[in-house]
Order: sequence, then structure tokens, then C-alpha cells
Amino acid sequence: MADTNKSKAPSTLPFSFVPQEPETAVENNPHAKATTQVADVVEALKASFGDAVHEVVVYAGEHTVRVDRTRIVEVCTFLKTEQGFNYLADAGGLDRFTEDDRYEVFYNLVNITDMKRIRISLRVDEDGMSVPTVTDVYPAANWNERECFDMFGISFDGHPDLRRMFMPEDFEYYPLRKEFPLLGVPGSLPLPPQVPTGELTGDPFPAAHGHKPPKSFQEVKSEEENG
Amino acid sequence: MTTRVDAVVNWARSNSLMPMPMGLACCAIEMMAFAAPKYDVARFGSEAMRFSPRQADLMIVAGWVSYKMAHTIRRVWDQMADPKWCIAMGACASSGGMHRCYGVVQGCDNFLPVDVYIPGCPPRPEAVIHALMDIQEKIRNEYSVAQDGEFGKEVRKITPARPTIVTPTGEDAISPSGLYTQ
Repeated sequence: MADTNKSKAPSTLPFSFVPQEPETAVENNPHAKATTQVADVVEALKASFGDAVHEVVVYAGEHTVRVDRTRIVEVCTFLKTEQGFNYLADAGGLDRFTEDDRYEVFYNLVNITDMKRIRISLRVDEDGMSVPTVTDVYPAANWNERECFDMFGISFDGHPDLRRMFMPEDFEYYPLRKEFPLLGVPGSLPLPPQVPTGELTGDPFPAAHGHKPPKSFQEVKSEEENG
Repeated sequence: MTTRVDAVVNWARSNSLMPMPMGLACCAIEMMAFAAPKYDVARFGSEAMRFSPRQADLMIVAGWVSYKMAHTIRRVWDQMADPKWCIAMGACASSGGMHRCYGVVQGCDNFLPVDVYIPGCPPRPEAVIHALMDIQEKIRNEYSVAQDGEFGKEVRKITPARPTIVTPTGEDAISPSGLYTQ
């Protein structure tokens, strides 16, 4: 390289695209659909719930309403019965990794008749990891809440069947939390035994540590064969 | 015509392999193409996919293996009758592939004795056929009867199971260096 000083301190990123926060997202976002701009629904929510509506965010032409954690069932009931949001498209959680109100749970709701979409979110602190379930309003939230419980450890009060969704039921960790290592905790998920009569393998990477499974003709005989 | 029992047994075994299709992900689609008429694995005698492990002798692990599924695969493998062989098909089954995460076993050789690995994501059906031919080549050089293996005992060294094939001009038709040796 001819000029090393130049490469050490680039004044700008050498990419053609530099991400920037748009100043006026609503007007300038060409991908925003009218279906996601639901100012009338937000006004109705504010009028009905007042202080329970903590924040209204408009990003990329989409409305997100952050409500109080304890009143999510009332908000969902109101949106379903009064505003016609009859379809829960998605629900889940995310880890913001902050000191206060670390976790967030979101609900994407759709009004199929009027073609409207709204996102409801709420925040959960590490001290009180529980949210009232909305399965009584939207039965479709059943598995979404189970997944959220599986991945973040947020329990949903009143859920009819709150078990782990993907991980084994005796798994002790919550994989999508930020502090969870990418490749998992060694030994937390045992592998099957290397021979038919063997024990579970605690080492998740035995092959990487030099262990090779015995060939099939080298394996010990089963109990019936041993007599 | 004179031959050895090993040669006859290996000839029969290698040309009638019954795969156990352990289809776990998109590799299973390519495995279907491998069995379908265009690529026509019936040319190699392996068209009979057996979904019962008792009737299969070649497990094709096609796709990524999660920790939960690993126990099932191992149990199916244990239920297969000897002699049996295993193909790790694709990057995920061989090494975990792009799924470098907590839920996926980083290569099914962590709990299975794999004979042939196929690279690719997913591999072409030709690659699967090539792996099958490698398995056949391995079987043809095994000591099926003369050197029956037993757990804990040292394997005896004897002459190759495959008979020497001599061309009409008196040369070796197959180079011994390219053969599988135990």
C-alpha cells in the first residue's frame, strides 16, 4: 500500500451508503404504507387510557405505541373490540441490555377489514419479569408468548401452557439474552452417547477436542448380545 | 470362476445399499432429486429408501442437526443393523455450517461414526452420488468375513479383500494406492 497514513484514518467511511437517521421519516419514507399510519387509533388509545400510554413513536412511517405493562390486556381488548384489530400477526420480545426496563415485548396487530397495522410494545424490568398474557384476547399469542418465555425468561401470567417452545424443558438458560454466549454453555445441552450403552456426552465439541466416535464394528455389544 | 467369500459378499452389499434418509433440512430436497429419475440412483442399486432403520444400512444425515434431534438420530443409528455406513451430507451435517450457534451440533461426527462427508450447501445430486460411490468403494475393500471385527480385539492384517483385477496386458486395473485400506 502506497499511502499508509491515509488508510489509518479515513475521514469518511469508504462505502457509498452511510446510514443516517432521516429527519422527517413520515414524509420522506417512500416505503411507508398508508396502512401503518394510524393516528386516529393512537388518539383513541390516548383518550381511553391516558397515562397508560407512555410513548408514541413514529419511525419510518409506522406507529408504535408503548403502553403500561399491567394494562396490556385492556389495551388489546379495546383494540380488538372497539378498533377492529382482529389479527395478531406477531408477538415477541427483545433485550435492550439497559439498566432499567431491560426487556421489551411487542405485539403487531392488524385490522384486516380496514387494512391498518399498529405495533404495541411494553417494557419489562429485570426485577419483575412477568407480563399479563393476552391469550384470552388473541389465542394466536399462545406460542409467541411461549417462545418469548423460552428465549428471554419473561413469564406470562395466566398463560394456559407456559412451557419452553424450542429448547429442551430442562434447559437452564435463556439463549437470546445478550449475555448468553453465542455457542452456548458447554455441557448444558448433552449430546447422545457415543456407543449404544454409553452415557450422555457433556462436552458439546468432542470431535474438536480429539475424540472420535468408534466405528460401528468397534462398538460394544448391546445388553441382549452380552447375555 | 473362482473368487473369495469376501468379494462376493462385498459385491452384493455395495450394489444393494438401502439408504435411511435422515432428511432434516433443505439437503433433503437434493436427496430426493438424487433418488428421482433424472439422477436415478437405481443405477447404483440404492433406490430403495427405507424409513425403517431395521431395513436400512446407509444413513444419509441431510441437514443441520439440533441438540434435540441428535438423540433421535443416535437412537435410529443404534437401531440399524450392522453392517452400516453413514454419510454426512452438506456443510451443516459435516461441521455445523452457517449455524454456528447454541442450538445446532457443530457436525454430526460429534456423536456418529461418519464415513463420507459431502461439502456443499446443499450439495448437488451428483455429489451425493459420488459419496455413494465412495461408500461402495469402501465396502468393496472391507473384510466382511475373513476379518470380522470384534470389540476390544486388534484387527488382523491380511491381504486386501478386493481381488486383484488384471487387464489383458497384465497390468493392475486399479491402483492399490487409491484403495481404501483398514
